[in-house]
Amino acid sequence: MINLGVPYSQIILAAEQTLYMVFISLAIGTATAIILSVSLMLTNPGGILKNHIVYTVINTGVNIIRSVPFIILMVFILPLTKILVGTRVGTTAALVPLVIFIAPYLTRLFENSILEVNKGIIEAAQAMGASYFEIVWHFILPEARGSLILSVTTGTIGLIGATAMAGAIGAGGVGDLALTYGYERLNFPLMFFTVIVLIVFVQIIQSIGNYFSAKARGY
Amino acid sequence: MIKFVDISKIFTVKKQRIDALKHVSLEIRTGNIFGVIGFSGAGKSTLLRMVNALETPTNGHVEIDGKNINKLSFSELRKVRKDIGMIFQQFNLLNSKTVYENIAIPLILNHIDKNEIDRRISRLLKFVELSDKRNAYPAQLSGGQKQRVGIARALATDPSILLCDEATSALDPETTESILHLLRKVNQEFNITILIVTHEINVIQRICDQVAVMERGCIVETGSVLEVFSNPRQQMTRRFIRTVIPDKIPAIIQNKLKNDPRYYRIIKIRFLGNNAQNNILYHVNKNYSAETNILFASVNELQKTVLGIFIVQIIGDDLEIKKITDYISSHQIQWQEVRL
Ligand SMILES: Nc1ncnc2c1ncn2[C@@H]1O[C@H](COP(=O)(O)OP(=O)(O)OP(=O)(O)O)[C@@H](O)[C@H]1O
Ligand SMILES: [Mg+2]
Repeated sequence: MINLGVPYSQIILAAEQTLYMVFISLAIGTATAIILSVSLMLTNPGGILKNHIVYTVINTGVNIIRSVPFIILMVFILPLTKILVGTRVGTTAALVPLVIFIAPYLTRLFENSILEVNKGIIEAAQAMGASYFEIVWHFILPEARGSLILSVTTGTIGLIGATAMAGAIGAGGVGDLALTYGYERLNFPLMFFTVIVLIVFVQIIQSIGNYFSAKARGY
Repeated sequence: MIKFVDISKIFTVKKQRIDALKHVSLEIRTGNIFGVIGFSGAGKSTLLRMVNALETPTNGHVEIDGKNINKLSFSELRKVRKDIGMIFQQFNLLNSKTVYENIAIPLILNHIDKNEIDRRISRLLKFVELSDKRNAYPAQLSGGQKQRVGIARALATDPSILLCDEATSALDPETTESILHLLRKVNQEFNITILIVTHEINVIQRICDQVAVMERGCIVETGSVLEVFSNPRQQMTRRFIRTVIPDKIPAIIQNKLKNDPRYYRIIKIRFLGNNAQNNILYHVNKNYSAETNILFASVNELQKTVLGIFIVQIIGDDLEIKKITDYISSHQIQWQEVRL
């Protein structure tokens, strides 16, 4: 095998760190984003639970966070990170900014997916006497599922990009490996290798996303 | 019984006021098929959606079996809605679910157990003749088949009222026919009250018992289909009915009449139900000397009876013509003079 200038165990650790950061923050971010995007859909001016205050608060909050670049966001919320996980550095500490970064991003993507659901479906649901929760659970989410899965896919890929910057607070990961060893120590083979790994990651995620999205659409 | 009591509905869009319904009062008897017809924007859908409170009146209220549904709490309203099925022009099926799963939704909402759901869906699929499409997705069905799924879904919870908003407007004439047939069957087998809104008069002609004609938020004419079709009072109603029951002298004959030098009058005679009256012209010809000439005739089936329309030219002097029209009147047959 080619010598990449770092032990394989370190590469594997980096990959594990990336996967850990991506999946944990994705899970928490997705759950949060579902709640926020559904709230936006229900409370928007044309929604079935129209509520100006709730809508404006969520909408503005999402916009504000979305306008801060991740690297700045990460540093800016360090005190919050310290309160939540007890430390400012490390892989787990990176989860806080990653979640705060990805949740509003996914909220916007999910909101679009949900708004695409045919209004007639909601009307059919109301006509059946469904409660608000039932409308969301049995009608809107199943109908939006294909599109939501694609949104999660897009979000995951964005998240991988963000984890590369998490190296700045010592979170490790593949991106950090490429920057500290590949770039700063001019280790071109390692740089090349990590780029390939990231491309493979992204391709696999996109393919999985496309597959499940098509399946969820029912044709 | 569904009762609309002095319903008005005002929408305000960008500070502009739209009077979608103006003082509409209407009663729909249990077990009837009631049709509402009107042009686009007349307020038909708004009226229909009042029944399950998808739309709430600005003024007035809706009563179902004596209960004012505009006074109910949300959870009480949901109970009422579960007893009202609804089908739509665009079907509104969930594309991500199979036919079976679509029909199952209202049953799941009613917490019915799995075996019972299975049994009911098999029965419903048989009723709408779609047993072989059980596991198909809506995208794999034709429009008519989708509407059948919509009907099965609406009937799943054994409702006592079925609302149909332009249920056949997206379908071709033959498919329309089969869906109407199915709706008739729904009405007869389960004694479900059906309220249909449509802009297609043939829908009214084919299956409705009662009809209301709507124009710009008002009901301009209402009655049994037989009454309204045989004797439409409003210009709008006549225009609708003329497309299925023609009662106009063909253009070629009109032109000939204009060049007819003789003195004559034209009358339109309507026969309803009783076929025996059709021989009135025979008696007229036998008893009176004026010449009669049939310009137009049509016989239409309506509500299991027959509506006949004859347009007759009577050539003779005024006195002779009056004798004939008096004779026709004396037989309780409706007629009216037609001018070219
Ligand atoms: N939610 C709404 N907001 C504002 N205006 C509305 C709304 N719903 C209906 N209207 C208006 O009320 C009027 C009646 O609409 P409605 O949909 O009841 O007509 P319709 O007879 O069903 O017409 P169509 O045959 O086109 O379905 C129209 O002028 C329409 O623009
Ligand atoms: Mg309509």
